Amino acid sequence: MRVGRYSFLAIFALLLFTPFLVRAWVGAPTSDAPPADLELRVITPHTLDIRRAFEAAFSDWHRRRFGRSVKIVYLIPQGTTDMVRYLRDAYGAEGVFSGAPAPDEQRVHVGIDVVWGGGDVTFEREIKAYLKPVNLPAGVLQAALPEPDLAGVALYDAKTPQAPRWVGVALSSFGIAYNPDLFKRLNRPAPQTWSDLTDPSLSGLLALADPMRSGSAAVAYMIVVQRAMADAEAAYHARLEASGETSNPQQLQSALAQGYHAGMSLLVRIAANARYFTESGSRPCDDVGQGDAAAAMAIDFYARVLAEELGDERVRYIAPAGASALTPDPVAVLFGTLGEREVLANRFVEFLLSADGQRLWNLRADASPYLKRSLRRLPIRRDVYRDRSQWADDTDPFASASGFNLRQEWMSSFRDSRDVWSAAWIENHDALRDAYTTILELSDAGLREQLIAKLSDLPIELTEILSYKQKRDELEKQGKEDSRLFQANQRAAWARRFREHFQEIGALAHSAMDTQGAVP
Amino acid sequence: MMASGESKTFGFGRPRLGAQQALGLLLLVYFALVLGWPISSVIASGFQTAKGSWTLAYLSLILRDPLLLRGLLKAFAISLATTFTAVAIALPLAVLSVKFEFRAKRWLSAMTLLPMVLPPFVGALGMRMLLSRFGPLTLLIDSDSALGIDWLGQLRTLGVVVTEALGLYPIVLLNLQASLANLDPDGERAARNLGASKWQLFRRITLPLLRPGLFAGSTLVLIWSFTELGTPLMFQVHDVAPVQLYMRMSEIDSPLPHALVTVMLFASVLLYALGRLLLGRSNAAQATKAVRVSVPQTLQGARALAAALPFVVVVMLSLLPHVAVVLTSLSKTGAWYHSILPRQFTTVHYEKALQDPLIMPSWTAQHQSFGAIANSILYASAATLFGSAIALVAAFLIVRSKLRWRSLIDTLSMMPLAVPGLVLAFGYLSISVHFKHRWGAQTPAFLDAQQWPVGLLIVAYAARRLPYVVRSAVAGLEQTPVVLEHAAQNLGSGKARTWLKVTLPLLTAHLLAGALLAFTFALLEVSDSLLLAQTSEFYPITKAIWELSQRPGDGAYVASALGTWAMLLLGSSLLAVGALLNRKLGTLFRA
Repeated sequence: MRVGRYSFLAIFALLLFTPFLVRAWVGAPTSDAPPADLELRVITPHTLDIRRAFEAAFSDWHRRRFGRSVKIVYLIPQGTTDMVRYLRDAYGAEGVFSGAPAPDEQRVHVGIDVVWGGGDVTFEREIKAYLKPVNLPAGVLQAALPEPDLAGVALYDAKTPQAPRWVGVALSSFGIAYNPDLFKRLNRPAPQTWSDLTDPSLSGLLALADPMRSGSAAVAYMIVVQRAMADAEAAYHARLEASGETSNPQQLQSALAQGYHAGMSLLVRIAANARYFTESGSRPCDDVGQGDAAAAMAIDFYARVLAEELGDERVRYIAPAGASALTPDPVAVLFGTLGEREVLANRFVEFLLSADGQRLWNLRADASPYLKRSLRRLPIRRDVYRDRSQWADDTDPFASASGFNLRQEWMSSFRDSRDVWSAAWIENHDALRDAYTTILELSDAGLREQLIAKLSDLPIELTEILSYKQKRDELEKQGKEDSRLFQANQRAAWARRFREHFQEIGALAHSAMDTQGAVP
Repeated sequence: MMASGESKTFGFGRPRLGAQQALGLLLLVYFALVLGWPISSVIASGFQTAKGSWTLAYLSLILRDPLLLRGLLKAFAISLATTFTAVAIALPLAVLSVKFEFRAKRWLSAMTLLPMVLPPFVGALGMRMLLSRFGPLTLLIDSDSALGIDWLGQLRTLGVVVTEALGLYPIVLLNLQASLANLDPDGERAARNLGASKWQLFRRITLPLLRPGLFAGSTLVLIWSFTELGTPLMFQVHDVAPVQLYMRMSEIDSPLPHALVTVMLFASVLLYALGRLLLGRSNAAQATKAVRVSVPQTLQGARALAAALPFVVVVMLSLLPHVAVVLTSLSKTGAWYHSILPRQFTTVHYEKALQDPLIMPSWTAQHQSFGAIANSILYASAATLFGSAIALVAAFLIVRSKLRWRSLIDTLSMMPLAVPGLVLAFGYLSISVHFKHRWGAQTPAFLDAQQWPVGLLIVAYAARRLPYVVRSAVAGLEQTPVVLEHAAQNLGSGKARTWLKVTLPLLTAHLLAGALLAFTFALLEVSDSLLLAQTSEFYPITKAIWELSQRPGDGAYVASALGTWAMLLLGSSLLAVGALLNRKLGTLFRA
């Protein structure tokens, strides 16, 4: 009996060590190279594939040039938002705050040297206070990025171009990932632009990410809003040209506000089609690949990598013509990084900007010893696109950039728009979906369109968001507390307002259903 | 078996209250450090302004916010529905397994415990494959549907309840089986003699006597499902309190989630009180030990089949995620689409997992690390040793001491079960941040999660899994007759020697069982691992699985390969624990 009693323990122990036994049996990869003697600490939300490829490539590059190899210790937060919070906590502890004079750098070191990835908006608006000027050998930045912007978007810190506090090292584009198989079943043409995602036949078939948790999703939403603002601005200028009037700042502001409202309406209609808002920026693409969703708003490389793995009958990526932004994904040296660590950190930036480092973003897996599979990202150096041999994607974003890009001056409402989006369709998705699906069941097509227009007419204007931002900024200057409370109260108030709006339209749809009936 | 109060009657020598009090106080200090401190540091942030003064503004905001209130109510409704469903599944199985004997009963009973071996994340990955729009379930039900069936998108709340109930019913089942086995058959016989029908007998005699077991199991399920994060996240149910908490926790600079934690903790305590009020927990009822053991009625033929059928149905349903995980791990990437089974099989994901430097030891120029599996074994072993020592002291004080506040120790040692893992993890992280604020670069490494998270991980694992070891040690001590210790002392053995030579050997099986369970669950602990391990050289296995599962394309498949190994490990651990405790596994899963 004793044997039986303890035999399961033996099985447990055997299972526990099975991976090691198997590994010993098949043989573990070893290396005769001595352990790396330099260490660089990098915080990054980049994927495992990217981290591994660049660590090995940088180490070799460094050994070739300076005779010593480098080990990179990555700190890996669960996404960009987490990374920002981490840096705020760490620097807050050292007395470094946004807007406050920086303390003596000698006394500040948070244990991380470099921050890499997370989008230019994050670097420019969220963590700039924690960055120090990048110090590259003369001519390196100029050779890598001879033009400081791409269609209006700064490729490195535009405020202090001589000593930039962040430098873009890759480009991100945002577009639509879709499942061709599902579109065929729906008997619908493949989506081409954002407004195609408002098609009612996609109801419950869109995969979207929560903009509060996914930085890339938030940027994608902002593209939709800014495209509508750009259209409104163009229409305003066309009107002026036709009438011969001169531009009036107030009228322009009003036109832009209308554009903002139109963009928000488009987003409400897209949100109404969403099956849910996932917490992860990558999950929407996975759902498209698995056929759970027909389409998703997606960051380019994730969709491309997935298409390579699953085949293009399962996932395809399209950048909406004239409505897809190209934004830089930066790297920066953190405040408090001094001495040898600073030298090494700047060398890392230099490597990322080098032609070798740039090509690594898009080389095929068989073309580089550092890649297990292609990273499918777009380099930021224009000159490396001249030779695209052995690349995974034969696209040149510089050639296809159509003039539209995110405008920094319109990004001032970005942070607060996220609060509005969250209140409107993350927290009230059930009310929105209930109203929308009831409307879609109505037999009268005209009434359907009318009610959808009403539903998407979100009761909020750009002026309200801007005055909210102004008030919040003022409170933040006076002291953080009131600002936090003000923000929480405002978000709750918006959520209540939007819920009432969706419920009101929902009630109209339900009563119309009672009188007119559903689609047969 | 002796209830804790019975040692008074024996008058265990003259209890050295001084030593006991000192031990008790030490334990209280331990609880204050590993539970009180992290929890209060999380809670305090919800009641503090940025300048450090106290405020109730955030609490009042939560109580006025209809969305957050709805989230709390929905979490409560889901936990109630889950508990009722779990009881509805477990009660007939418990009655059938204790009252009747039929073919294959032993195997079927053992298989009902398998839902507990589903590792986190990976279960979700398996379920996503199973419930995908064109997945096996859709094809089995309606293979002609052009757009498939969006199980995960449409039946979300129901999906959460069913998935949680199918995962948690074993806890109720184990407790009910223990209670049923303890029932004195004479009571039932007497009722039958007095003319009670079978239904009356069940309702008036059996059910009331089952109350302690029902309380123990269902309270745990109630609190567990109230604070459960993974399942609602998998079904994308975002309007429940734990998910709202998780989502807002990761937002920058908001004290609101911290105030929400307080409300959730308070609600958990209320749920516990509610369970106690409805089902009661009298020691007398728990101590009811059958003088005679009831003999199960042997069933044959059709009746045996009818008795086995509920087991087969429940086991088949609850094992679906496990099967899905195994199939995913063996499927070629993307080959499980529009098909009941994967179209192509491969072992490449296992090979990838075994070659990954994140998982296995690696000694190259870039990586000199033990890998996540070895890390986890190390952390979990240290946490188990540490936790066992604490549990032994706690169990001694709970069962053998005269301390008036020993029930406080009992309650505190069970507290980690009621506190969401995320809250404790955030608490440890905020303590680490607090020290870095104060001491900067001078912060000792063991308090700095960024530099060396190992110390904090071990303390966190030990605290989270303490209840299992304490319950096991308490059960062991209660079953160890105190007269043996008296006899040893009468023969001149000192107290310490008596403990070492008599009590401890008799406790070995129970301690080992509790420790093994704590070890296995620590090995697969999620919240602490995700938040505290920040660099890959210190990754435990769960964080490595999470990291790999995020990889586009093959991530879910490689994670499933590791998940299959984890399931086998957990399964063998439960079997070993069951064997060590002689099938009294239920004692470890009590609130």
